[in-house]
Amino acid sequence: MSYLINGEAGSSHLLMGNEAIVRGALEGGVSVATGYPGTPSSEIVESLAGVAKERNLYVEWSVNEKVALEVAAAASFAGLRSMCVMKQNGVNVTSDFLLHLASSGTRGGMVLVSCDDPGALSSVNEGESRLFAKMVEIPLLEPGDFQEAKDITKWAFELSEEIRNLVMIRSVTRMSHASGNVRYGKLPDGKAHAQFDFHGSLLDQEKGPMISMVVSAAELQHGPQQEKLRKAAGIFEECPFNTYNGPERPELLIVTSSACNLYSREAIKALNLEKKAGVLKLATTWPLPRNVIKRHFALTDRIMIVEEVLPTLEENIKVLAAEMAPEIGIKTFYGKRSGHIPSVGEMNPDLVIGALSSVLGLKRKSMPEAFAGKARKLAETVVPKREMTFCPGCPHRASYWSIHNAIEMDNRKGFVCGDIGCYTLGMLPCGFSTLKTVHSMGSGSGIASGFGKLTQFGMDQPVVAVCGDSLFFLAAMHAMAIAVLQTSPFSLVSLDNSGTAMTGFQAHPGIAANAMGEEMPALDIAEICRAMGARVEKADPFDLEGTRKALNEMMEHREGAKVLILQQACALSPQRKGRKSYEMEIDEEMCLGEECGCNRICTRIFGCPGIVWNREKGVSTIDELICTGCGVCADICPQGAIKRREAE
Amino acid sequence: MVKNSGPYELLSDVIHKDLCIGCGACIDLCPYFKSYKGKTAMLFPCTFSEGKCFAYCPKVELDLDELSRHCFEAPYSADPLGHYHSIEISKAGREMGGTQFQAGGTVSAIMSFALKKGYLDGAVLTGREGLLPVPCFVTQPEEVLKCATSKYTAAPTVSALNRAIQDGYEAIGIVATPCQAQAIALMRSSRLDENDCIDPVHFVVGLFCTWSLDFRAFEDFIEERTGTESIAKVDIPPPPAEIMEVYLANGAKLEMPLDEIRKLTPESCSYCFDMTAEFSDISVGVLEGRPDMNTLIIRTERGQKLVREAVDEGYLIVDGIPEDAMEHLTWASENKKKRALKKAGDAGMINTPDAEKRSMVRLRGEILERIMVASQGCE
Amino acid sequence: MGSAGFNKDPYSLIITGVGGQGNVMASRVLGSMFVNKGFSVTVGETFGASQRGGSVMSHIRISEGSSWSPQIPAFGADIIAAMEPVEGLRVLAQYGNPRCTLICNTHPVYPVNVIKGEDAYPSLGDIKRHVKSLTPHAIFMDATEEARSLGNPILANMIILGALCGVGRLPVGHGDFREAIAERVKTDQVALNMRAFDAGIALLGR
Repeated sequence: MSYLINGEAGSSHLLMGNEAIVRGALEGGVSVATGYPGTPSSEIVESLAGVAKERNLYVEWSVNEKVALEVAAAASFAGLRSMCVMKQNGVNVTSDFLLHLASSGTRGGMVLVSCDDPGALSSVNEGESRLFAKMVEIPLLEPGDFQEAKDITKWAFELSEEIRNLVMIRSVTRMSHASGNVRYGKLPDGKAHAQFDFHGSLLDQEKGPMISMVVSAAELQHGPQQEKLRKAAGIFEECPFNTYNGPERPELLIVTSSACNLYSREAIKALNLEKKAGVLKLATTWPLPRNVIKRHFALTDRIMIVEEVLPTLEENIKVLAAEMAPEIGIKTFYGKRSGHIPSVGEMNPDLVIGALSSVLGLKRKSMPEAFAGKARKLAETVVPKREMTFCPGCPHRASYWSIHNAIEMDNRKGFVCGDIGCYTLGMLPCGFSTLKTVHSMGSGSGIASGFGKLTQFGMDQPVVAVCGDSLFFLAAMHAMAIAVLQTSPFSLVSLDNSGTAMTGFQAHPGIAANAMGEEMPALDIAEICRAMGARVEKADPFDLEGTRKALNEMMEHREGAKVLILQQACALSPQRKGRKSYEMEIDEEMCLGEECGCNRICTRIFGCPGIVWNREKGVSTIDELICTGCGVCADICPQGAIKRREAE
Repeated sequence: MVKNSGPYELLSDVIHKDLCIGCGACIDLCPYFKSYKGKTAMLFPCTFSEGKCFAYCPKVELDLDELSRHCFEAPYSADPLGHYHSIEISKAGREMGGTQFQAGGTVSAIMSFALKKGYLDGAVLTGREGLLPVPCFVTQPEEVLKCATSKYTAAPTVSALNRAIQDGYEAIGIVATPCQAQAIALMRSSRLDENDCIDPVHFVVGLFCTWSLDFRAFEDFIEERTGTESIAKVDIPPPPAEIMEVYLANGAKLEMPLDEIRKLTPESCSYCFDMTAEFSDISVGVLEGRPDMNTLIIRTERGQKLVREAVDEGYLIVDGIPEDAMEHLTWASENKKKRALKKAGDAGMINTPDAEKRSMVRLRGEILERIMVASQGCE
Repeated sequence: MGSAGFNKDPYSLIITGVGGQGNVMASRVLGSMFVNKGFSVTVGETFGASQRGGSVMSHIRISEGSSWSPQIPAFGADIIAAMEPVEGLRVLAQYGNPRCTLICNTHPVYPVNVIKGEDAYPSLGDIKRHVKSLTPHAIFMDATEEARSLGNPILANMIILGALCGVGRLPVGHGDFREAIAERVKTDQVALNMRAFDAGIALLGR
């Protein structure tokens, strides 16, 4: 991370969008940063944690996004600049506090960063966070390239202090995880000092208590809050990050923001439309800069809005266009609502090229069909698909093996509720299609608790929930509390792989170190559950039969919520990566291949990438480059052909 | 002859129709079929279209003539007690050292004797863990007694036979309920055993059985009445008591009416026509009115020879069967046979004409008729 | 090796492979090499959930001027470096063209459906034949074997990077790599990475 603080002002560096946001926050004098990990946002808090010591920051991986925003708000109330970072779904979690915070306002500059994931490249859904800015009435900024990601972040702190309210920045995967040149500015010196003043009157935002509701809140607080937004709108009219590129009177005006700015520019160049089409790239997408838009709309008749997920920008622009119609005339719009821009999935240059070609009636093809057709056919017929699967040596594969077998053997139509993490893959064949419900973070436990209470209505299927260690603290703990209280007879299987593995091993309360690497006393999931009154057992998921038996036994008890903790570190974790417990080998004489009654259970069912079915020889083989030496597959083979030997 | 099929037909024809009794014939042949608490589960999909799992299942289709020819070199008859040489009464002899048996101790005596003489290199029995009967494989005569109590729920005993065969045992004895004995008979006459020239099943002792209980239902029933107290022993004293006795670890004894217990019988048992374990070398059961003795049906030469030797060497004491006992045995067996075959017939599960559709049982029409007629008035 | 600039702006390059092969590291090092030379670079990564056994891809745009789309348009790549052969073919079919150069590791990483025996993995001969039907400019090398001989198969990424820089299309070389790799790895790892990079260049001659 040293390159984030060591580069001199004026030097150019290749930074990821997320790193550019970090550099911007550092240049903007951030003191406190919090968040909850989630792709594509995680690198921001991680990078800030990496330089926390040198820059005297407090950086926290919070227990969930709501607490993260509260912790960051405290810093702002005490006059510090603070930032809170999450993926889009996290904004849903924090939204209750967000509304309160937006109405109480802030003191030190405070920025909320939401990283959306159009196309759900690494999410369960493609959510949309921009609407929150509109809903809670705070300004929204969207960087259109990597330099802007830095500059806008720095500017956001200033804007926040100017209007005394939270400012939201929205990034997307192709901005957060892409990299580009960033020219550094100066890092501030000087020490921040925190103090919370509260002796002023209730309505004194500078010196009074920070309270989000006072008597007659609507008049006394909502009004001034909207005034802040109007002030921001005024500032946005002059914002240097709203830019236009193109002819003075374009035949078609593209209005866009964020990564779509880069796709639009590429599409115009690819179609040689520089003289016909222009791009109005907006960085301030809520509230919209009315006069900037009016100026550009007056010079064209056709407008295309290029954006991802919901037609948020499109609809906000159309409201303005309707209001301005008497002055600028009726315009024709193209976008998601007209079908020119797809209503789902992420954008790319080809989609913009397609939309432009369709609107402007262009026939050009980027590649003659002779080549394109041949290429397409090869891709479809020759190239095997790469389905997602658990990593070699992943404890989840072993855990699901035992959970699946326990449920099947129990034979009472039991099922498993899951949620989000690497273990979501438990719904696929790689997890033996074990999960039967998957929703938001920690929701498997709440849903399972609910199913458990349906015995009153004749439901007698055993219910199991799975939950990662980080999610236990985020949400499952609360479901557990009510399940114990209401004696809901479900079994929670805690898939404890000792870290927030999916997003890169960030700290959580169950880990003995915090975000900044300082040692901390870890909270013990087992002890917490016992203290709540749940019966708790532990097993090693690599002991397949022991785990299966423990769960089968647990499912027999109908007296209330129970917890089975399956503890085994992630195969990619620092403590396991590159270390084999066992050297694995397959005795080709003993492996009966297709002749075995097992019907290739190791490769066909268990499916660890470390064991490969050798079609020519008709036996299974270990790919020693891929095998992590966990040893589990030795217990799968009914012939005992898979051998494990203690590794040196 | 039924066309052999695979695991999916086993699921659809037997397991999903609740006809599986959990005998264990399909267990431990592959990693996919497992038994848990008396029920059979298939863990993962299999891609074989034919399998021993299907071929060995006694609930798929029994061709009674075929089985009878294989076991007794004679077609299936209408005799309510199946094919036999003689029927006697018996109990453990002096060499068994005066152990207290729940009935006459005939089964323990004969298995101990066969192991001691080296006629068997191992015996498949059914032990018990709490209320749950579990398969058990022994090689020493003194181990036999550990399993010598009555069980009232079905057990996957045949799985232990599958394992013992894989482990290379060549002279295995097995104590089997009628359904388990049917599975073993199917196995021995199986069309799948192309290469096996040795029949490792050396001796089958069949147990009389009128019904068994669904394990989970039985467990719930008992638990509701005993709470958390663990159970020491369960017994059904001979008629006319009509009760089940449950002895608790704390010394208390509970009595439960058999009428209530019988409600816990799985659907599968109501289709069972075999009370006396007809496809075995000898069959053993209680003797009406004589709790110290067993009824003993000797069915094969091998059975005859072993019983005689056991008697000669003091392991077994035999006597002639009283006429009233013989009458009662015949009546009870006939009654079960008639009831089950009527139910199966009504459900269209006997001698199905369509070769593709499986029948529960196949037997010659004249025999079926004689069974149904002979039993008139036996209700 | 290489002239001062490119014949095209932006120049579009793809590094592809399978999760865990060091794809991202290679793209960041390559990107830094060009930033250090004063170019404007945009790198787009496809990873995240696809890390778990899935395909990964880095799109690198190099320009004299400004940032470009982090996604290259279809058939728009000038050069593709593949750490895995079917990934090379997959990406060539989507982003390649008859003028595109492919540098391809021949060591396969089997997709889970191939491991399971449900899908076939094409033979290396077939892969080469299909690649040649799309572009005449293809170079194959067993970078994984070479990396193993250097002591760690993960170094295949630096070997492929060496070959990529050595093929004569990019205006960077040994010295630029040393500068960029030193920013990313521990000091004691620099020499080993340099050896891998040079081995990649050397493999071009074989």
